[in-house]
Amino acid sequence: MRILACLSLALTLGCAHSAPPPAEPPSPAPVAAPAPPPAADAAAARFVPPDAKPAFDIPVDAYTLGNGLRVVLSRDTTAAIVTVAVYYHIGFRIEPRNRTGFAHLFEHMMFQGSENLGKLAFIQLVQRNGGILNGSTRFDFTNYYEVVPSNVLETMLWAEADRMRGLKVTQENLTNQQGVVKSEVRVNVLNRPYGGWPWLTVPQLANRNWYNAHNFYGDLGDLDAATLEDVQQFFKTYYAPNNAVLVVSGSFDPAQVKGWISRYFDGIPRAEVPPIPDLTEPRQTEEQWKTVDDKLAQRPALAVAYHMPPRGSPEYWAMALIQQILVAGPDSRMYQELVQKRGLTGEVEGGANLLGNQFDYQGPMLWMAYLFHDASHSPKEIVSAMDAAIEPLRQAPVDAATLERARVKARSAYYSDLDRLFGFGRADLLASLALFDNDAAAVNRIEPSLLAVTPELIQKTAQEWLRPTNRTVVALQPAGGK
Amino acid sequence: MSRTVLAVALLATGLVLAAPEAPPPPGTTPPFELPATTVFTLKNGLKVTLVPYGAIPKTHVALALRLGNADEAAHQTGLADLMGKLLLQGTTTKTAVQVAEAAAGLGGELEANVREDETALEIECLGDSTVDAIRLVAEVARTPAFPTAELARLRGDLLRDVAIQRSQPQPLAEEAFARAIYGNHPYGRVLPVAADVEKFSLQQAKQLWTRFAGSDRSHLYVVGRFDPAAVRSAVEEAFGGWHKAKGTPRPKPAPKAGRRVLLLDRPGAVQSTVRFGLPAIPPTSPDYIPLVVTDALLGGSFGSRITANIREKHGYTYSPRSVLGLHPGVGTWLEAADVTTKDTAASVREIVNEIERLRKEPPSADELAGIQKYVAGTFVLRNSSRAGIVTQLRFVDLHGLPADWLRNFVQRVQAVTPADVTRVTRKYLDPQRMTLVVVGDRKAVEDSLKQFGPVKVEPPK
Repeated sequence: MRILACLSLALTLGCAHSAPPPAEPPSPAPVAAPAPPPAADAAAARFVPPDAKPAFDIPVDAYTLGNGLRVVLSRDTTAAIVTVAVYYHIGFRIEPRNRTGFAHLFEHMMFQGSENLGKLAFIQLVQRNGGILNGSTRFDFTNYYEVVPSNVLETMLWAEADRMRGLKVTQENLTNQQGVVKSEVRVNVLNRPYGGWPWLTVPQLANRNWYNAHNFYGDLGDLDAATLEDVQQFFKTYYAPNNAVLVVSGSFDPAQVKGWISRYFDGIPRAEVPPIPDLTEPRQTEEQWKTVDDKLAQRPALAVAYHMPPRGSPEYWAMALIQQILVAGPDSRMYQELVQKRGLTGEVEGGANLLGNQFDYQGPMLWMAYLFHDASHSPKEIVSAMDAAIEPLRQAPVDAATLERARVKARSAYYSDLDRLFGFGRADLLASLALFDNDAAAVNRIEPSLLAVTPELIQKTAQEWLRPTNRTVVALQPAGGK
Repeated sequence: MSRTVLAVALLATGLVLAAPEAPPPPGTTPPFELPATTVFTLKNGLKVTLVPYGAIPKTHVALALRLGNADEAAHQTGLADLMGKLLLQGTTTKTAVQVAEAAAGLGGELEANVREDETALEIECLGDSTVDAIRLVAEVARTPAFPTAELARLRGDLLRDVAIQRSQPQPLAEEAFARAIYGNHPYGRVLPVAADVEKFSLQQAKQLWTRFAGSDRSHLYVVGRFDPAAVRSAVEEAFGGWHKAKGTPRPKPAPKAGRRVLLLDRPGAVQSTVRFGLPAIPPTSPDYIPLVVTDALLGGSFGSRITANIREKHGYTYSPRSVLGLHPGVGTWLEAADVTTKDTAASVREIVNEIERLRKEPPSADELAGIQKYVAGTFVLRNSSRAGIVTQLRFVDLHGLPADWLRNFVQRVQAVTPADVTRVTRKYLDPQRMTLVVVGDRKAVEDSLKQFGPVKVEPPK
């Protein structure tokens, strides 16, 4: 049976040929509550010693330009290709309240013209030089990246610098991209069963803080309301070099690339960036059960979502192992319980941050498990089967064989994250760590941190974070409410 | 170039504007060499390709078998998928849990990926575990248990998959398009029918496997970080005693071109799911590479003409794309787009306009050169990952292409001329011979579709 491609791709320029989605907030900066960045503290208190060594070591050369742009270089000469990635510290969480979906709409506008590159010219410049590109809007960042033959590196640095310097877009471009983005929402959400399930739906039900709980794709009315002035203001507010990270990974000459970066980025002025608003979620103390109706669906679906421990804490690392133990692959406990033993579903999926991985967000975040099932099994029955898989983790430390398997899987999954999309995955992790913690070298502590998790820590983590009272159960009901 | 023209025009009107800065030109194109491969054949006919590749300590192991949905009889659509699910339910010496745990212990997950022409048993494991991964794949391939106890559960899973697929407009459009082109051939039967699935027996699934699975219909690919000598002896030991397959030839497809307008009603749909295309050519055709380049220029890349038109100019759609659909000996071309309901007919007209434009006028040398670089560059990317390399090698083997096909690809792309593009567009992409499938709100779109031909409303399945 043919598999439908592209269904899960959300909030990007485009799924067919790689393009980014829009992102932007309107003029007033979001409510500037004092910003408590939980990650900074977490990163400071390291889970493993700073010199812990991974089995697979990644070269990291990180420095900061005078205008505050953080640069990370990571050389890998496996193939004559190179990734250029620019990450801006503006995710869809903190878009303005009357402009839901703006962060993503703005991302689309970054492809509509800059000082020296007209509409479509950026895309053509990449493709006509044999590369691919995309942009995506996520919880805590908006990224733009190209994977190109290594001889095109200077051209790409010039082009990214050009659009970091300023946008030159028209009302016609904006109207056009409003149409494109509304089409994107229709194809991914409105015109299909399980649209936005569970990545878009569940955060809106499980979270309390508006920043974490609004419709990130955007209300169509809000998308229509965006003005050209909103676009320029959003750019001025967030798209400054001191609010960004540039990563170059792949095949390059380090001295040469540093010269180019200096030439093209040094002159871009820094700007005052508003503090990130208070994104924290209160500790959940009561289990929530929610239902959503889906007129287009034929079969029910169910998701459970738990709030994640703060990024960088010991419990955060334990959750990465718990993901392997509970939902990753057919040896996992939920798969064995729900699929193999009880036949309630054909597959259980899940983990932290469904729009990326456990390492490329800042937080707060949900850890989810989700599945499709038949109407003959009730949500209650399914959740009780999930509990049969989860509760033993809370009752006693895991056995040695389970832990060893989880470690091997976690390490292997991390390598796959690095490899994703022709090596773009490595740039993604480096950019995230540089953007959130100013510590790209922390990438080499991921592997040791995963391996340092103990059975006792797993139990302690499960007791607090896999508490039923820390979860939201969302049942999707198909047409007819069966 | 068009930028220069613009600057000149602005100066002529007396506006004082700085001329845009041109991007720094690329350096010298790096030489592209395919990773070195070792190919050998065991005495029983099993072909093996080993490709040491990359820095990351992982390996992709894939056993590709010439067995797929194309081998299903009428009313058996989906039987191969059920067979794939059953394959992972254990061997004569391991339970399903034991197989899953063994794979996980190697850092991977064993998958049985069933497609129309081939099925592959695949695992991405840690590089150190490559030998064990090969043994596990061999064990599952040679001694699957096909346990009766799992049949009802897996059939239920398949029925659920089918129900979910059939509730989505894109699979319905794919199914209608394939049926129009390939008729009753298995390539024309994309989605299983629930009433058929309910009757599938264990015996049928098992027979499909035993008839087609065997050493001489299979090819093992190993790409990544591993010890080639150890892997080679593990392959000989694990697969040397595997029997040959019986197999039976597949029916020959007879794809049909012709303007048909097929409408599947989805009341209230805010978008129309459009498929517009026709039979084209397989990779063995001498015109295939020119058609690949033409496709990228017309609709197969972000900067392509159709995308620039219906997305970037008109905003009708988010992810339009054209696709070359390929099977051994046959192929199709189609444009796929989900467009705003009110823009359905306008979108199709614009697609037709872009095709007609390319049939009339050759592209400029400059436009073509850009697309050639794109096709060549993305080819290099596709050969720059473990899974990508496996896909490329399987493509060559599935379509029976010459051994130097991949090595010569970039050169052949670069040899395509503007005249070639016009020639293949005229020869293979005639809008008058294209079938139009629309899954959308009948009330809103039916009348406007009549301009493309008599509309046939397809009953829901």
